[in-house]
Amino acid sequence: MQITIPKTSTILSTLLRADLTTQWRNRKSLIMVIIVPVIILTSWKPLIDKVGGAFVLSTSITIGLISIGLMGYSNAIARDRDKGIFQRLRVAPVSSWCIMASRLIVQLLTITLLTLLVFVIGYDFDHVKLSISGYVLTFISAIASGAVYLSMGQVIVGRIKNPETVQSTTRLVYLSFIMVGMFGQLGVLGDQIKQIVHYSPYGTVNAILASSMEPSKWTNESTMLLLLTLGYTLVFSFLGIKWFKWK
Amino acid sequence: MDHILDIKGLNVTYGPFHAVKDVSFSVEPGEIFGLLGPNGAGKTSTLSAVEGLIKFDSGTISVAGYDIKDKPLYARSAMGVQLQATSFQTELTVIEILRLYAGIYGVPVTQEMLITLLGDISLTESEDKRFGELSGGQQQRISLAIATIHDPKLVLLDEPTSGLDPQSRRRLWERMESIREKGNSVVLTTHSMEEAEAVCDRIAIIDHGKIIAVDKPQTIIDKHKNDSEVIAISRRGKITLEDVFIALTGREIRA
Repeated sequence: MQITIPKTSTILSTLLRADLTTQWRNRKSLIMVIIVPVIILTSWKPLIDKVGGAFVLSTSITIGLISIGLMGYSNAIARDRDKGIFQRLRVAPVSSWCIMASRLIVQLLTITLLTLLVFVIGYDFDHVKLSISGYVLTFISAIASGAVYLSMGQVIVGRIKNPETVQSTTRLVYLSFIMVGMFGQLGVLGDQIKQIVHYSPYGTVNAILASSMEPSKWTNESTMLLLLTLGYTLVFSFLGIKWFKWK
Repeated sequence: MDHILDIKGLNVTYGPFHAVKDVSFSVEPGEIFGLLGPNGAGKTSTLSAVEGLIKFDSGTISVAGYDIKDKPLYARSAMGVQLQATSFQTELTVIEILRLYAGIYGVPVTQEMLITLLGDISLTESEDKRFGELSGGQQQRISLAIATIHDPKLVLLDEPTSGLDPQSRRRLWERMESIREKGNSVVLTTHSMEEAEAVCDRIAIIDHGKIIAVDKPQTIIDKHKNDSEVIAISRRGKITLEDVFIALTGREIRA
């Protein structure tokens, strides 16, 4: 019996269209992802002279990336797994990697949207202007850095099955990252915490983004932090994929 | 004639629990085949192994001649599946879900074709409704429409009529028969002996992971109608498939 299977590109584009529609219809969660970075951008305007425009913009993007990876991605995966949506797709002629690739592309597009929004508000409201190379490099760094939080989200849905528990865990991790990350970085929580935060996924991502905004100030330390970020991504991805169960 | 589904020596374990023990059977083209068994007997595990949802320990499964392990995408292309608890993206409308699965199975569809398809399952008015807004019966019809959207050689239905009213159940039986008329095959799991007798050409009774009988429903009844245990179980004098089923699988209630 001769059976033909559709091209991978056809399947991926079909899945992508459905996932983008789903994301668009979930605009409320998209707004939640964007709202905190926008609040930081607007409320920290008076601090720009003191801490620098790059710091404010990089903090906004970092917090947006945490929100996308931990809140948006992991919660959507946990919910769809619980509903049996993945099981239904897996009995069709769809490779598992295609299902995940489509989901990740949607998240990368959300990261793109977030980064552009931060650039626009930063330019228009905070009057933070970067060089062309600064914009391009920050954009690339945002995509690379977003992978850390997406892989962390993958670890959470890998370890925890119940979608409600995933939601509460991601909220807790998100709040911890923001509070400890932001205040720790500013030195409010003491030098030791400041040092830990600096080498944590929060600190490395923030530092890479800030350095990318001013490429002339890129140092060996920036390269080391970039490598550390990639290391975090590899470890979290390995664990997230290893532990993940479709059902 | 080539078997449309061929299972040989299938074994499935979950840790120490041996759920499917050396199961073998085959399904012919144009046949409706029923898999019957008490709760936890191994019906869904057998079906899940065919669908590629679980890894099996040993044995072979081929669908339309394609080995499920060597050519999983080809095997899955040849079958349509309705899972026991299925769900689609609740944010998508009925027509968007149909378009999604048509794309996945590589079926070129136009808006008119999708409307016709919805008409076939009496859901024309619901094209813009989201899946979550449909009733259980409507969801079930959509699910079956998606399972058959690519005119598969083999349709797998896991307890398709559970929770359906008699009208919906009759409609589903007619759809199964129309699949058979096209020369395609259906494998269903069911707890309903009435259903098995009404639509299945052959059935397999599975218990504790093992197949204990495979044949035409009437042949199984005829083979066991004089067993003392069957006669003792019989409630109305006439021996039914349910009497034979209970005699073969025991009276105790399974979890």
